[in-house]
Amino acid sequence: MDTEPIAVALKFGFLAVLYLFLLWVARSAWRELRTTTTPAPEATGIHPIGPGGRAAPTDAWLVATSGGGLEAGERFDLFGGISIGRSSDADVRIEDRFASGVHARVYSRGANYYVEDMNSTNGTFLNGGRLNGEAKLNDLDEVRIGNTEFRFELDVPDS
Amino acid sequence: MSARNRELLALIPVAILVTGGFTAVFIVESSQIGDLSLIYGGYFLAVCVGIHLFIRVRLPYADPYLFPLCALLAAIGLVMLFRINDELALKQASIFVGGAVLLALTILFVRDYHVLQRYRYLIATAGILLLMAPRLPGIGSQVNGAYLGINLGPFSFQPAEVAKICIVIFLASYLAEKRELLTVAARRIAGLTIPPIKHFGPLLVVWGATMIMLVYIRDLGSSLMFFGAFLALLYVATQRLSYVIAGLALFFVGATLIASHVSHVQDRVDIWQHTFDKNPCHLTKQEINAGEDCGVGQIQQSLFAQADGGLFGQGLGESLLKLPGPFAPHCEQPFPDCGSILPAPHTDEIYALIVSELGLFGGAGVIVIYALVAARGFKAAVMARDGFSKLLAAGLSAVFALQAFVIIGGVVKLIPLTGVTLPFVSFGGSSVIANMILLGLLLMISNDARRPLPPPREEGPVVGGLPA
Repeated sequence: MDTEPIAVALKFGFLAVLYLFLLWVARSAWRELRTTTTPAPEATGIHPIGPGGRAAPTDAWLVATSGGGLEAGERFDLFGGISIGRSSDADVRIEDRFASGVHARVYSRGANYYVEDMNSTNGTFLNGGRLNGEAKLNDLDEVRIGNTEFRFELDVPDS
Repeated sequence: MSARNRELLALIPVAILVTGGFTAVFIVESSQIGDLSLIYGGYFLAVCVGIHLFIRVRLPYADPYLFPLCALLAAIGLVMLFRINDELALKQASIFVGGAVLLALTILFVRDYHVLQRYRYLIATAGILLLMAPRLPGIGSQVNGAYLGINLGPFSFQPAEVAKICIVIFLASYLAEKRELLTVAARRIAGLTIPPIKHFGPLLVVWGATMIMLVYIRDLGSSLMFFGAFLALLYVATQRLSYVIAGLALFFVGATLIASHVSHVQDRVDIWQHTFDKNPCHLTKQEINAGEDCGVGQIQQSLFAQADGGLFGQGLGESLLKLPGPFAPHCEQPFPDCGSILPAPHTDEIYALIVSELGLFGGAGVIVIYALVAARGFKAAVMARDGFSKLLAAGLSAVFALQAFVIIGGVVKLIPLTGVTLPFVSFGGSSVIANMILLGLLLMISNDARRPLPPPREEGPVVGGLPA
């Protein structure tokens, strides 16, 4: 029996299985990195670790109020910080023609939360005024990006 | 799909690769398809499923890809060893089983790896003693001029493999406690944060120790591996790039100085720089007549073997490893030690053999496996909840990746070639066993890191964490 073609097939088969496997592992790793808004039960999302080595207390949320292809009332846990924008790199992805790829971010420093415009084209608005750089967020502040509006909520009582 | 089911699923392609690889080698050697390779594949899968079940019971939240990736490395190693000599593959398989048992014992006995912090000075002393052992009279042994192995009766052992784990545990626990001291009051110059000179003290101490080690065991590769792991840990602990830059500069200067004084290290650098020159390491006529080549043949043959592989390789079992028929050298010792065109194909040069048989794509695939293992380790570090775990996970991943870098870099002539093993792939008991322990620790850390948090309690005191 001529085994030559089998040997060649096995060589390419070996490489193919190897690469498919690596692709699968890399893809799952990549996905895990992106699932930040809802921590999976097996705790796969990466969460920024705050002082004390554990995730910053999740006592703050961005709540979608209108636009952006988000359901009004959808809550985004801030953990240590999240980015908002149109690209898939952003933690909170919005469908908004006036939003930049990574438009703005919200993060905690010390005990406070801040919103920062990431050099977006159309700017970020805080309570109706255009944001210059970063600003501290107070409870129930309104953040607007393009046509998408969020409300910042701090220490909301159990709902 | 739960993490553990993912792990089980990931073992299937690994078993397919073992079976396929053995079949290919078997076909080339005997021109027939036997069921032997299926049996090998089955055994391999059985051992892996055994470890998987153990992890499922003891570490239900551990990273699902760490173990399959390491099993994949072992699988490729077994296929390559089977291709060289089936006895080697058999031995390596039993070492793999032994390593698996040791992995289980590590997880059973250490239970909570945080206790290692308490014994850090003991562990550091053990690590240093292990590193020094190869030069002790009686048990020490010199291979190609470097002091890396010890002989205990019939067994030989590479203590540096175990020492690397000890040193990383020590550094992680030390830095977890002292890192604040290293991050205080710093000036920014040209985008770099430069701490005051006095804070470079620990860096200088470890650098000095590395240099002494370089003189003492005369192995550039393992010195680079240890020092690199230290720099990685220092960077993770302090976020100061200036430490890393200063450290690398110091290492480079120190290694250059030492290379010009220690002849063995100098030889290694010479044959790396002038691989295809005539007599690159200035041997005398007598030495050349006696058949010495100060190891230049190894790197030459390694490069030829890899070039021979091309993009997709010669095929499993089909690279030219032994001269055929009348040209085959006659020797008493069994095959890998003698008669191989590629020196040490089962240990140092196994990567060259992989590239020769599976080509650039196969070689790149192996590098990707190491990168993914390191990525999973760093992920565990990011997710870990206390400073020691973070540093330990980062350090173990770094030392693992650096070991692969040092030997692959040597084989492809990126850096001077030195005799460390390719983790999980190379033949060798100490290497497999030490890396199994390392894997066990990483699994334990990731299990802790991924365990869902219990419902939040009262705000406890803030324990030294790491910057995100």
